[in-house]
Amino acid sequence: MKKLHIVGIIVIAVAIGVIFTSLQSNASYSDFAEASRNPETEYHVVGKLNKSVPVQYDPKINADECSFLMTDNKGLERRVVLHKSVPQDMEKSEQIVLIGKMQGQEFHANEILMKCPSKYNDGKPQVKA
Amino acid sequence: MEKITYIGEHLWAGTVGNAFVYLSLISALVSTLAYYFYSKETLTSEWKRFARISFSIHSVSVIGIAATLFYMLFNHMYEYSYVWQHSNNSMPMEYIMSCFWEGQEGSFLLWTFWNVVLGNILFRTVDSKWEAPTMAVFSLVQVFLASMLLGITISDFSLGTNPFILLRENPDFANLPFVQNPEYLAKLDGRGLNPLLMNYWMTIHPPTLFLGFASTLPPFAFALAGLWKRDFTSWQKPALTWTFFSIMILGTGILMGGAWAYEALSFGGFWAWDPVENSSLVPWLLIVAAGHVMIINKNKGGSLFMTHLLSISSFLLVLYSTFLTRSGILGNSSVHAFTDLGMQGQLVIYVITFIFICVALLIHDKLFRVSYVMVSLLMLAFAVFYGYKKAIMMIWLGGSFGITIFSYMKYFPKEEEEESLYSREFWMFIGSLVLLLSALIITYFTSIPVLNKLFNLEKAPVKVPEYNIWQTPFAIATLILIAITQFFKYKKTDPKTFFRQFRISLLLSVVFGITCVVPLYFLNGYSTAKTLDKWNLISYALLFISGLFAVFANGEYALRILKGKLRHAGSSIAHIGFAFILMGALISTSKKQTISQNTSKKNVEGLGENFNAKKSLLLTKGDTLPLGKYMVTYKGKKREGIDVYFNMDYFERDAKGDLKRNEKGEAVKAFELSPMVQDNPKMGKASNPDTKHFLSHDIYTHITYANLSDDADLKKDAYKEPTNFIGHMGDTIFAENAIILIDSITTNLNEEEFAKSDSLLVVTAVLKATDINGTVYRATPQYILKNNMIMPDQYELKELGLKFVFWKINPNEGSIEIQMSEKVSNAKDFVVLEAYMFPYINVLWLGCIIMIIGTVIAIRERRRLNKRIKPSME
Repeated sequence: MKKLHIVGIIVIAVAIGVIFTSLQSNASYSDFAEASRNPETEYHVVGKLNKSVPVQYDPKINADECSFLMTDNKGLERRVVLHKSVPQDMEKSEQIVLIGKMQGQEFHANEILMKCPSKYNDGKPQVKA
Repeated sequence: MEKITYIGEHLWAGTVGNAFVYLSLISALVSTLAYYFYSKETLTSEWKRFARISFSIHSVSVIGIAATLFYMLFNHMYEYSYVWQHSNNSMPMEYIMSCFWEGQEGSFLLWTFWNVVLGNILFRTVDSKWEAPTMAVFSLVQVFLASMLLGITISDFSLGTNPFILLRENPDFANLPFVQNPEYLAKLDGRGLNPLLMNYWMTIHPPTLFLGFASTLPPFAFALAGLWKRDFTSWQKPALTWTFFSIMILGTGILMGGAWAYEALSFGGFWAWDPVENSSLVPWLLIVAAGHVMIINKNKGGSLFMTHLLSISSFLLVLYSTFLTRSGILGNSSVHAFTDLGMQGQLVIYVITFIFICVALLIHDKLFRVSYVMVSLLMLAFAVFYGYKKAIMMIWLGGSFGITIFSYMKYFPKEEEEESLYSREFWMFIGSLVLLLSALIITYFTSIPVLNKLFNLEKAPVKVPEYNIWQTPFAIATLILIAITQFFKYKKTDPKTFFRQFRISLLLSVVFGITCVVPLYFLNGYSTAKTLDKWNLISYALLFISGLFAVFANGEYALRILKGKLRHAGSSIAHIGFAFILMGALISTSKKQTISQNTSKKNVEGLGENFNAKKSLLLTKGDTLPLGKYMVTYKGKKREGIDVYFNMDYFERDAKGDLKRNEKGEAVKAFELSPMVQDNPKMGKASNPDTKHFLSHDIYTHITYANLSDDADLKKDAYKEPTNFIGHMGDTIFAENAIILIDSITTNLNEEEFAKSDSLLVVTAVLKATDINGTVYRATPQYILKNNMIMPDQYELKELGLKFVFWKINPNEGSIEIQMSEKVSNAKDFVVLEAYMFPYINVLWLGCIIMIIGTVIAIRERRRLNKRIKPSME
C-alpha cells in the first residue's frame, strides 16, 4: 500500500493548501471605517439602508449605477454607489451586504445581497370586518 | 380568560393528524427496538414479524399524516397554520402539491414518506441476513425524522415543528385581534403559496430531490449494518444497486434544480454555487465515489474502509445539508435557505448523534467502545450543565475523527499485496479520492458561516469564481480518469497494450480539442490577460480537451471492447453524459456573453473591472436598439393577474449592423420574448427571465428594472410640475423626449436703447429641440419686461408636449433661467434589462439525459446479474 500512502499524503497536502489559501484571502465582513483605511481592498460591509433618503437611480444617465445611503453596523453612514441596476424592492430590505471598496467618502459596490425576511414570511391573518 | 367557542373549525382533522404523528414516532421507535432484538436472535424469531408489523404501522401512519395534510389543504382549512401559510382560495388546484412541500414541515414529511417507500422495498427484497440491521438503522432514522413533526418546546429547546398547529395557537399571531373573534374563520383567506414557486418545476423538483436524499439512506444503512455485524464485505453486493439508484435520482434532482434556476429564476445561469445547491451536490459526489469503490470491492475485493466511509458520509452530509439549509445559520449567504424555525439545536444534535453511532460502531474492542460511549455522554452532560458547548463539540469531533483513523488502522483488514500501478482498481480508487477531496473542499467553502459561528470569525462567504478555480482541476482529473481507467484490467495490465488501446481517442481529442480551444480561449484577449486569468484560460482549455478525451475514450471502449452491446455499455454512456455535462457547463459559462450593452458614457474602469459591468440596457417603448446579433424593440407590457409580461421583438440585423429588411421593406423579425416581473403584494417583485432556445445557443433576457403600473393610469394630457434650468448659450436641457439646445438669445433693444427707454424689453431665447427621430423644432419663449415688471409668458411646443417659461436673466453670471414642464405622456415607458447569450448550453442538457439513461442501463444490468447469481432475490 506504499503508493496509496503517497496518494494519501498528496490528499492531505491539498486539503491543508486549500484551508491555508482561503485563510490568507482578505474577504471578510467589515465596516466602512476599515474599508476607508484600505481603499485598495475589497470588503463585505453589512448595514442598513437609510430609508429617509430616496435611492437615486436614473437609467437615462447610467442604467448600471444607483446610489443610496447606508449605515453600517458600527453606526457610520456613507453614500454608496452601486455599479449595477437598482435591485428590486430595495426599500423593503432589512439588512444589506455590499461587496466593494471605499473611494474617498463613497463606498463603491459591485455586488449587493439583501435580506428581506418579509419576502417569504410576510402577512398576518386579518379578518375583514 | 373566558373560553371562546370558535365557529366552523374542524378540530377533528388536527386530532387525526396528530394521532398519526405520535403513532408514526412510536411505531418507528418500536420498530427500531424490534429490529435490534431480531438482529440479536436467530433469524426466524418472532421479533421479525413484530418488527415488520411495527414498520408497516409506521408506514401507514406516515401516509396518514400526509393524507390528513392533503385533506386540509384541499378543503382550505385555514384554522390550521400550515394551510393558512401555504395556500389560499384563489390558488389553482394543480399547485396543491407545491403547497404541501413548500414549508419545512411538509418537506420533512416528503422526505419521511420517501424513506418509508424505500424501507418497504428494502425489507421485502433484502437477504434475510441483512434485514434486521439495515431496517434497524432505517427505523432509527425514521424516529428522528418523525420527531421533526412533533412541535414540542421544552424551555428554549424546540423539538420539531408541527404541521397541525392551529392558526390561533401559532405564537407568532398570539396577540392579533382575530384570536378573540369566534367567527374569524368565515372571512379568512390563506396567505397563499409563494407565486415564485407556482410553476411546474416546483411540482417535480422537490419530490425528485427528496427521493434523492432518501436514496442515500439504504447504502448508509447497509454500511452501518456491515460495521455492526463485523461483516465488511457481503453487504456490498445488495447495496450496490441502491447506490446506483441514488446516483441516478439524486443526480436528476440536482440537475432539475439547475434547470429550474436557469429557466425560471433570475440567477443568470444554472449553477451559482449557492449553499443550498452545494449541499445536495456534495452527497452526490460522495455517493458516486462510494458506488465506484463498491465496484472495486465486488470485482477484486479490498477498499473496505473506503466503501464504509463514503456510503456513511454521503448520508451524514445529507443530514449536514439539512442542518445548513434549515437552521438559519446561512443567514445572508444564501438566497433560498428556509427561514429559521428555531430548530438549530435539534438539527445539530441529530447530526452529532449519527456521527456518534457511526464511530461507536467502528470500534471493535468492547471496552474501548463502552469507554467512548461513556466519555461522549459525560461530555454531553458537561456541555448541558456547564456550557462551553462549542469547545466541547469541537474536542469531541476531533476525538471521534482520531478514533475513526485509529479504527481504520486497527480493525480493517489490509491487503497483503500492493496494488499495481497498472490496475483498474488503483485508478478507480484514485478517482474516488478525487471526488472525495472535491466534496470536502466544497463542504469547507460552504461551511464558512458555520466556522464563523464556531470560531467567532468574520469571514465572508466564498464567491463563485473561487469555487470555479478550485473545482476545475478536480474536474480535469476526474475526466482523465473516466477516460483511461476502464482500459486497465483488474489486478494487472500490460503497460504496452494499455497505452495502445486508447491512442486513437487520445489523438482525436488532442487534435480536435486544440482546434476548438485555440479560437475559444487563446485568440481573443489571452495575451493581454492577467496571470491569474491566463491560468484560468489554460485550465478551461485542459478541461475541454479532457472532456473530449473522456467522450471519445468511452465511446471507443463501448464500441470496440464491449462490441457495442448496449446492455453492458451503461457505465460508458453515463460517463459520456457526465463529460458532456462538464463541457456544456464549461463552454456556456466561460463563453457566456453579455449582449445587453449599456451605452452610457460614464466610465468607472478606474475602480477595477468588477465595477465596470455595463450590462444594463435602457430600452424605451418604441425604440429599437442593438442587442448582440439582433435589434430589440420593447413593444409594451401586459398584466395577467400579478404577472406583468414585457413583450420584446427581436429583429435580424444586416451585414452593416442595421435593421434587416425584406423586399417589402419590413423588418425581419427573428423571435419574440416576454420576460416577466411578478408584482406580488406580499412577497415583493420577482423577475422571471425568458429564453429563446436555439440548437447552438440560448438568448436569455431578464428585466432588472421596470415600472409595473399600467400606461392607462396616467393622465395623458396633463403637464408635470415645471423644473427650473439655469443655463448659458450653447447649453442643453434634457427632456423625456428631446434634447433642447439654448441656441441664441435675441433682444428687441440693444444695451444703449435699453438704457434710454424703460418701456418694454423683450428678450427671446431661441431653443432648438431635437427629438428621437432627429427632427428639430424651434421654441422661442420670451422674457418680457414692461415698466420694470416681468410679464408672464409661456411658450408651448405642441409637437413635443413641452412648455417653457423664460423668467429670469442673471446678467452677472451671464446665464438665463428657464422653467420647463413636460406632458405626463411624454415619459415613455421603459425597461432596464440584461441579456446573455449562453453558447452550447444544450450540450449540458444533452449530457444530463445521456447520464441518466446510462445510469438506468447500468442499474438494470446490475439487477439482472444479481438475479442470475441468486434467483431468490425477490
